[in-house]
Amino acid sequence: MFKDLNPILHSQLRLAVVSILIGVKEAEFTYLREKTNSTAGNLSVQINKLKEAGYIDVSKQFKDNYPLTICKITPQGVQAFEEYVKDLQSYLYIKK
Amino acid sequence: MEDNPLTEQESLELITRMINKTKHDYLDTGVSALLWGSVISISSLLSFASYYQNWGWGEWVWWLTYLAVIPQIIISWRDKKKRKYRTYSEDAMGGIWISFGISMFLLSYYNSLFHIPHAGAVFLVIYGVPTFATGFTRSFRPMIIGGIACWILAILSMRTPFPYSMLYNFIAAQLAWFIPGLILRRRYLKAKKQHV
Repeated sequence: MFKDLNPILHSQLRLAVVSILIGVKEAEFTYLREKTNSTAGNLSVQINKLKEAGYIDVSKQFKDNYPLTICKITPQGVQAFEEYVKDLQSYLYIKK
Repeated sequence: MEDNPLTEQESLELITRMINKTKHDYLDTGVSALLWGSVISISSLLSFASYYQNWGWGEWVWWLTYLAVIPQIIISWRDKKKRKYRTYSEDAMGGIWISFGISMFLLSYYNSLFHIPHAGAVFLVIYGVPTFATGFTRSFRPMIIGGIACWILAILSMRTPFPYSMLYNFIAAQLAWFIPGLILRRRYLKAKKQHV
């Protein structure tokens, strides 16, 4: 039997965010918005869901007097992502 | 991008696309490499020429490298300010170049006290380390070649007296930093033009 795909990650925008964060140490909110071509509102909601699941850390700072949101993947997020990719591969393998 | 459901195939494609987007996103401006390539090249040539011209200030030429630290700090600070993300490899590279700078400073001080024989060769060995490491980490062949060139020139320099060893220093600075810097700068300007 196959495990169900992790519902937190099996969503277009959340998966895109985690895929970006897996390759970097940390990224600004504006960078994630640029790379995912998403709206600030939608991205904010999805980032919050990932944060609540413990997959990413979100910190607020200031840069030139403007608020800055920085996102970073957590070890729990890395593990969830790796398991998700493994599950995906097993699904695709059986479909072939 | 919306929050639509995905098929397994689409998920894999999305992951690959996003990872590639960040992988090819970082572009070095090439300014630091050009700065150090120029400073070391000029210092080496002036040091070589001063031997024949008997310039009184010839021995102070290498102080230029200390002066170049000031624009380097400004370049790094501006670059850091512009960046919207940080990668582990860039942080590691930063650490390697800072270690290189400190090693060069200490070695210069040691050389001023005890006059290392064929000091140019020792400096060339050290030039090769961060250059090769940067080229290797970023898969940037010109810097890999530059790093190896520094080590080959170091071997030659061990058997070459001053001031001729300064010519090897000049070649090393050109191959390790100036030429790779020009290539990086061209790539950067080309990419910038495409994004405008």
